[in-house]
Amino acid sequence: MDNAKKTVLIVEDDEFLRSLTAKRLEKENYAIEVAVDGENAISVLDTLKPDIILLDLLLPGKDGFEVLKKIRSTETVKTVPVVIFSNLGQKEDIEKAKALGVDDFLIKANFTLDDVVAKINKLTGK
Amino acid sequence: MESPERISLLELSKMPVNPLVFWGVITVALVVVMALILNSIGVITGVYWLILVPVVAYLVVMGLFIFYLFKLYAERNRLMVEKIRREETKVGEFKKLNQDLEFYAKQLFDKDFELTLANKRLQNLEQAKSKFVSVTTHQLRTPLSAIKWTFHMLLGGSLGVVTDEQRNFLQKGYDSTQRIITIINDLLNVDYIEADKSDYNFLAVNLAELIDGIIFEFINIAESKKIKLSFIKPSNRLPSVVADPVKISMVLENLIDNALKYTPRDGRVTIDLSDARINSARPSLEVMVADTGIGVPAVEKDKLFHRFFRGSNAIRLEPDGTGLGLFIARDIVEKHGGEIWFESKDGEGTNFHFTLPIFK
Repeated sequence: MDNAKKTVLIVEDDEFLRSLTAKRLEKENYAIEVAVDGENAISVLDTLKPDIILLDLLLPGKDGFEVLKKIRSTETVKTVPVVIFSNLGQKEDIEKAKALGVDDFLIKANFTLDDVVAKINKLTGK
Repeated sequence: MESPERISLLELSKMPVNPLVFWGVITVALVVVMALILNSIGVITGVYWLILVPVVAYLVVMGLFIFYLFKLYAERNRLMVEKIRREETKVGEFKKLNQDLEFYAKQLFDKDFELTLANKRLQNLEQAKSKFVSVTTHQLRTPLSAIKWTFHMLLGGSLGVVTDEQRNFLQKGYDSTQRIITIINDLLNVDYIEADKSDYNFLAVNLAELIDGIIFEFINIAESKKIKLSFIKPSNRLPSVVADPVKISMVLENLIDNALKYTPRDGRVTIDLSDARINSARPSLEVMVADTGIGVPAVEKDKLFHRFFRGSNAIRLEPDGTGLGLFIARDIVEKHGGEIWFESKDGEGTNFHFTLPIFK
């Protein structure tokens, strides 16, 4: 494995879910950056280019769709893979996200963190 | 309506003709007899009676005829008056009917208005319900995810070594959380069906491959109950069906899950895929999920696909469950243009069948 750790940006407003996800991914030897809402995520991305972004949709203020739009139109981070990780999971939401250019869409309740790890490993080529 | 002229002619034709003829003949006969008597006693003689008899006879007959005509006119007038009176009563009745009609039409209009309003209210209510279900279920899924992941991490030993006893309890916690999530997903699906939000994505699907994949998910559960789970594929290659693979997977998972749940240890669950192109009106493939389980009580057969319905024997065996699975399954199969049915013997097993058309 390359010695530089891959970086995951977790955008999640629920503190407990955020810490669980971070804990699980740290065990997989990822470097973790977190953002607690949409605004926060956008400002973090001003200075950081993560290897993958795990993005919640229901966020206070700017929601996940807006963050996604911003990511895809920002030169420095437009190619970073984005996985939506949300409990919104109706067809409309999935299609809207796909149209905006997400790499995958996971519904939190229907998956475990192991599934998330597997997905992230795959997308970061680990 | 008949005109008065036609009525009079009609009535005329019905009038007895006999009096005219009768009185005519009698009068002529009397005049002749009188003339003969007068002649024989010598009061009149010669040519007088020859003139007198026809003139008197003619006058009498004419008089009678005129009298008779007057009678006919009188009769005609009487009939006409009667007729008019009858028509007048009818007109009165019509007027009354018309008033009633107007009254009922107005009532109908009012009712229609009320119903439209009520319908609007119901639609709003339905929307509110849909919104409520959608919001609450999404909100519920967040904390449930947290609980599920925690159990999962503990079970996986990522937070320290757990003893077998602890693992046992953690597993139960995990399973219960998973059950709630399944119930919530079912509720969301039903809300989707009822709000008629169409979200189908039809593709050409190889049903045999799809079934293979789903059976794989159930191998562990079947083994733990010592149930023989098998899939009988047809020997020849079958065409694809036009289907939404995600939805059809839901149907199959539901049927297989039910079959495994309600079949006692050492039983059998058999999935059979067959060609139903020959004996059906629409070219389709047929899937059967057969079990040797508890069956469906005969009296409950009609209700099995109803929303929230669960068989009484199924509830005894497995208290948890929403009774939504088959309701959802039927909706999905029907949206594909297929059919779903079953045959069952109480205590011996149930065979579920569904068809999927090859062409949409």
